[in-house]
Amino acid sequence: MPETVENASQQMLRERLPYYVENPPATGLVERFLDAFAAILEHTDYKPLLDSYCRTTNKCNRCSVTCPVYQVTGEARDVPCYKTTLLLQVYQRYFSLGGWMRSQFNTHAFELTEEIILEMADVFYRCTACRRCTLECPMGMDHGLITRLGRYILSLAGISSKALQVSVREQLEGETHNTSKIPKVAMLNTLEFLQEELEDQFGLQVEVPVDKQDRDFVFFCAVSDYLMEPDTLLGNLAVLYAAGDWDRWTIGSCNYDGINYGLFYSDWHLERIIKQLVGEVERLNGKNLLIGECGHASRSAHDFVPVFGGKRPSPVVSFIEYTLDCLRKGKITLNPNIITQKVTYHDPCNIARGGWIVDQPREILKSFVKDYVEMTPGGKLNYCCGGGGGLVSIDEIHDYRMEVGGRKKAEQLIATGADICIAPCANCKKQLKELVEHYEIPCEIMGLHDLILKAIEIPGGKSAEERLEEAQLYAM
Amino acid sequence: MRTWIDLAMGPLFAVTFLFMLIGLLRHLIQQLDTLFRRKAGRLRHMPWRKMARDSLGWVVPIRHLTSGNVLFSNSSFIFHIGAILVPLFYAGHIALWEKLFAVSLPALSATVADTLTIITILALLVLLASRLGNTKLRTINRSSDTAVLIVVLLPFLTGFFAAHPTMNPLPWQAMFLMHLLSAELLFVLVPLTKLSHIVLFFFDRISEMHWQLKPGAGDRVAETLFGKGAKI
Repeated sequence: MPETVENASQQMLRERLPYYVENPPATGLVERFLDAFAAILEHTDYKPLLDSYCRTTNKCNRCSVTCPVYQVTGEARDVPCYKTTLLLQVYQRYFSLGGWMRSQFNTHAFELTEEIILEMADVFYRCTACRRCTLECPMGMDHGLITRLGRYILSLAGISSKALQVSVREQLEGETHNTSKIPKVAMLNTLEFLQEELEDQFGLQVEVPVDKQDRDFVFFCAVSDYLMEPDTLLGNLAVLYAAGDWDRWTIGSCNYDGINYGLFYSDWHLERIIKQLVGEVERLNGKNLLIGECGHASRSAHDFVPVFGGKRPSPVVSFIEYTLDCLRKGKITLNPNIITQKVTYHDPCNIARGGWIVDQPREILKSFVKDYVEMTPGGKLNYCCGGGGGLVSIDEIHDYRMEVGGRKKAEQLIATGADICIAPCANCKKQLKELVEHYEIPCEIMGLHDLILKAIEIPGGKSAEERLEEAQLYAM
Repeated sequence: MRTWIDLAMGPLFAVTFLFMLIGLLRHLIQQLDTLFRRKAGRLRHMPWRKMARDSLGWVVPIRHLTSGNVLFSNSSFIFHIGAILVPLFYAGHIALWEKLFAVSLPALSATVADTLTIITILALLVLLASRLGNTKLRTINRSSDTAVLIVVLLPFLTGFFAAHPTMNPLPWQAMFLMHLLSAELLFVLVPLTKLSHIVLFFFDRISEMHWQLKPGAGDRVAETLFGKGAKI
């Protein structure tokens, strides 16, 4: 391979940004940025929003009080309103009449420079887009939305996280159609392994339904679960089996990834990934999308299948909602004597901030966990794990995620004194596992269904107590 | 002086007041257009009830007054009480509204109006001091944020002195003229600055609406920039 020679601009990008950028643009960054911004304003409907925000931005600093990043660093660049202003001033100067007029009369008027673009590229990837600040803004400004728009423009101008971009490329243009590049054979192998585990643990002989037509649920999880979270998947399978819904669901072999990094940085990718999911459901003539334990996968499907999913979009069901429904209807039984440790619950921002999934997991947990403790603040006002907005997938900013982004969460976790922290989200789980290791917190991080797996009673299978005894023997 | 006052009370008042109304109406129409035309088909799944509750929750933001920068939050809230009530219900203004719009509003008693005005002025001074004194706030404060506060402060200050000639350091007519002119400056700035949150407040609160992205727009943006069939 010939060594590529980088020019000064590319070198600067590499040196100044904490994350890798694939093929950083060599020239004309400012023009690229403005062209991208102009194209976005032409085809989308962000304009009224930006007009409104330009007027109402208040600079009252209330947002910073709620921001887990700012609370740790205390730096101006981490004030949500400051970040938003960076983008708004570009909009005002180049795309509004007032800004243009001001630039004609004022020689000191704002001009976009490479330096400002670099600053945006830095701060928009320091924000975890958890949107906690939105709840505290007296003007209701959604800084998460602006962070996302900023990243979208930057990505079109040639600056985005390589980790995210490579994953999305594989998901949309690669052979495997998933972010972790898991080929169909490997996925089927994992399913076989899960079947063996079900036989070992429960004494059940079942076959996981793949590519079955006309089912009520087509299942999508964060694809990384197939590699890293077998217990979450086993918990999902156990609930489906115990509830008697084994003939009602299926996994599609053409597309089995619910991850949607488009939610973090690109409308373009977001819509294409949603269409890919919807296409798989249509191919199988399924009725609902059943989304596994993953915050952003749940939110992107729940919020954007109705937007991008055509005239009659399929309903989206979160696995947590499904499990609660089974529990309430008495279709599953959870043994209340199995989990004796102290358990707490971490709310993934993407499903909790809007108030969608807050009480459901708590109702499930309290039904079989004796010693349940809340994190404060929790629910809608929770703190982000520190890996939100796709940051958890960017390995090179690990130190930032530990020392800055996740510090508040670590403090919260320590304060609960819990032995187990439930985090029903692939991203949160990865980040929290790294956090407990980094801060040496004696707390086990797991998904909701990992815990359910331990306590569920399956008719005709080994009881939860028998399984617990076996597990204890095995551990000795 | 009398001519100046006549000018400020007559044509200048009419022009600036109309400017404010039209400006605010423009914001209102633009936002309603976004809601009912541009995004109309995509708002079926919006949690309207929740959004209405959130917006109304901010009208009396009790939860938000006890945490964070408490002094700033409370001053801001207290300031708004007088800022809404005094311009509308002060006895001297009521005659104006009657003449202009033929509506008769109930008047605040002189004591209440005075008290509210003083509280509003004090709250504004605290806000101003916070912006300039608090280092964290100062870093993100723009000169326009300070200027807006001063522009809002002026009509209250001049109005108070005009209503209390005994405390007034200037001739009454001069003070009254300043009151008129500062109010008119405020009218002009309302639709142009963050003061337009008078109407935009309710629209910004429903940010969920802006997550209803436009189908097909992503592809069209990519096509404009990179041509047909662009790769990631």
